[in-house]
Amino acid sequence: MNKRLLTLWVLLLIGMLLAACGGGTAVEPTTAPAATEATTAVEEPAAEPTAAEAPAGDVIQLQLMGWASSDAENSRLQEMIDSFNAANSDVQANLLLVPDYDTKLQTSLAGGAPPDVFYIDSFKLPDFVAANAIAPIGDELENVDDFYPNLRDAFTLNGTLYCPPKDFSTLALEYNKDMFDAAGLDYPTADWTWDDLRTAAEALTDSDNGVYGMVLSADMARWIAFLYQAGGTVTNADFTAMTLDSPEAKEAMDFYVGLVQDGYAAQPADLDSGWPGEAFGKGKAAMSMEGNWIVPFLQDQFPDVNFGVTELPAGPAGDATMSFTVCYGVPANAANHDASVRLVNFLTGPEGMKAWTDLGLAMPTRASLRDGWLEKFPDLEPFLNGAEYSYPWQFRPGFQDVLDTVNSGLQEAFTGLATTDQVLQNAQEVGTEVLNR
Amino acid sequence: MTVATGIRGEDRQNAIAGWLFMTPTILIFSVFIIIPIIAAVYFSMTDWNGISPPIEANFIGLDNYKAILTEPGIRQTDFFTALKNTTYFALGVVPMQTIISLLLAVVVNQSLLRFKSFFRTTYYFPSITSSVAISLMFLFFYQKSGLVNQVLGTLTFGAWEPIAWMADPRGLIHIVLSWFGLTIRTAPDFLTQTSLFGVTLWSWISGPSVALTGIMIMNTWTTIGTMMIIFLAALQDIPNFVYEASQIDGATAWTQFRRITLPMLRPTMFFVVTLGLIGTYQVFDQIYVMSSGGPAKTTLTIAYLVYRNGFNNSQMGLGAAIAILLFIIIFALTMIQRRITGSEADN
Repeated sequence: MNKRLLTLWVLLLIGMLLAACGGGTAVEPTTAPAATEATTAVEEPAAEPTAAEAPAGDVIQLQLMGWASSDAENSRLQEMIDSFNAANSDVQANLLLVPDYDTKLQTSLAGGAPPDVFYIDSFKLPDFVAANAIAPIGDELENVDDFYPNLRDAFTLNGTLYCPPKDFSTLALEYNKDMFDAAGLDYPTADWTWDDLRTAAEALTDSDNGVYGMVLSADMARWIAFLYQAGGTVTNADFTAMTLDSPEAKEAMDFYVGLVQDGYAAQPADLDSGWPGEAFGKGKAAMSMEGNWIVPFLQDQFPDVNFGVTELPAGPAGDATMSFTVCYGVPANAANHDASVRLVNFLTGPEGMKAWTDLGLAMPTRASLRDGWLEKFPDLEPFLNGAEYSYPWQFRPGFQDVLDTVNSGLQEAFTGLATTDQVLQNAQEVGTEVLNR
Repeated sequence: MTVATGIRGEDRQNAIAGWLFMTPTILIFSVFIIIPIIAAVYFSMTDWNGISPPIEANFIGLDNYKAILTEPGIRQTDFFTALKNTTYFALGVVPMQTIISLLLAVVVNQSLLRFKSFFRTTYYFPSITSSVAISLMFLFFYQKSGLVNQVLGTLTFGAWEPIAWMADPRGLIHIVLSWFGLTIRTAPDFLTQTSLFGVTLWSWISGPSVALTGIMIMNTWTTIGTMMIIFLAALQDIPNFVYEASQIDGATAWTQFRRITLPMLRPTMFFVVTLGLIGTYQVFDQIYVMSSGGPAKTTLTIAYLVYRNGFNNSQMGLGAAIAILLFIIIFALTMIQRRITGSEADN
């Protein structure tokens, strides 16, 4: 090979490399315009840490990241963002709804370029706090005391409120009115007990035709409601010891597993369904214990099902349910902290919360909005009532291991591969290990 | 300088040109393969949670490996449960896919067969279809009132009791043992009480669960196409005169297959089994779509455990350590396998 050819090759290679580098940055805006804008917005002030926010005249670009839900909710959220942008000339927020949310959020946090505001599920909060990933903005929120105390607890760790609940769901008892009528039974009421539930489930079961009194899944997030109803707890108050070896936990698990083992309840998979709501909609189970998300699902997919909702039955220790909630989090050390908090306050303030929950798909987390909301959606009152006596779905960092263990154990207990004692002992051991990490 | 390096001018230029030609590959290879591998080895020795920036992770030496291999606890139990599941998966899938794909290759290699390209395309089709799409389709097949149960019901004249495949954690060997009255309640204590690496002996001998078996059947179905193509290429490389010569010697078709085809296919067999081992030990996407490790952790595989630790459980360091162990396992298995089939193939 002669020298000229070699030089040519070198030039070509350099050219290719440059083109490759240039290509990387040039491609990005077309695939994710919002992402690049937000990144530049974050980086600019970071270069000048002394300048508070962006220089006057510049518009701060904010990115709000969440997961997509129903079309109605997605477009309502976009409308709210639009009105925020209209009211704030110096801040422009962009909504980014992504699939595979957890993975995306985690990598963007680890990569040092997180979105300015993002959804955090209460169960995940301890992990984010342990990683110093989010800023506590409890003190900067509008009228914090208006949020239901139970829902504040869901985002409070060691006495610090980290972020405001954007909405919430609670578990209640859904029942198929036609099936109750056919069996000649009275509809469930809020003062039902475990015995009432079991008796009704037994009477409604017609296993020859593949119909069960109730649909239950091997899921700690459902069983735990019975645990609290029995007066048990998962851990002690300050999370130093597991308490799943209590007689109350045993009683709750025996009751829950017993419904399945005795054939009065079945799992969704045994009813040809992906989740309990589907089994209930198909009329293969007369009762289910899901959250308010089941209501739009049934209205949409199974409009003919004639169903009612009441509060969960009371256990030996009284009423209890679970609340599942998501908050708007702001990352730690964010350059646009103040603008982000302004957006969060807009979305969760009394007016924003009202606009968001007026669709009837999500429930307001502010007690002051309760009456107005119930006037519009009286049928959903059992769900909203749960706010008063619900327990938050939040524990300690690494609690996923306990959740997996209990779910796996429930599945084994349903199938007869393990006893309830073994499941609880196993969960107790795993939980102790997690708490001691 | 030319003299000092002992390379003549022209050769040196050739060497430079060679390196230049390699540069793009080396760059791409380093960025996407070498650096991630080094990073994975490093992260496997940190307590990185996967959420905070990796620089903040603390170096903890071999603690992750100790937690997995030597310290009793949920991390050890999960890893060895996953190892057990993955091994049953490989033990089932690798022989099945090798035998079936070899048979298919021999069949579609027959010169007398009509519609040859139709069959070749049909058998290869599952391999080029999106594995996620296939997984979703099989989810419907495996429902309680799904196709699989209906076909089995028809074949057994209604004796088959429909099961929800993907929600059934019972192990196949456990099911067989239960026919002889041996269940977890009647099993001797040394089986149910003795634990080896956090998993009881009784669990070790469970066999693949019904749910895992369902995924194994599907995985076999999707992979035999590729294996068949590889066998087919090797079959067509076998010179025809060998067969003709054996025919003159009076060999039957079966003898030809046993004494000519199989020995000639040995190197290919090694290749196919190696590919199969690597593929089965890394199985992830089908688990992710169909079962997420459930029911009762019986479809939890090593690759899925890596993902779960990294992204659900904020233990990216631990996940990286499991990934490294997975690499070591696959490497060791391939070496052992090479000993068995490969050494003769080299001759």
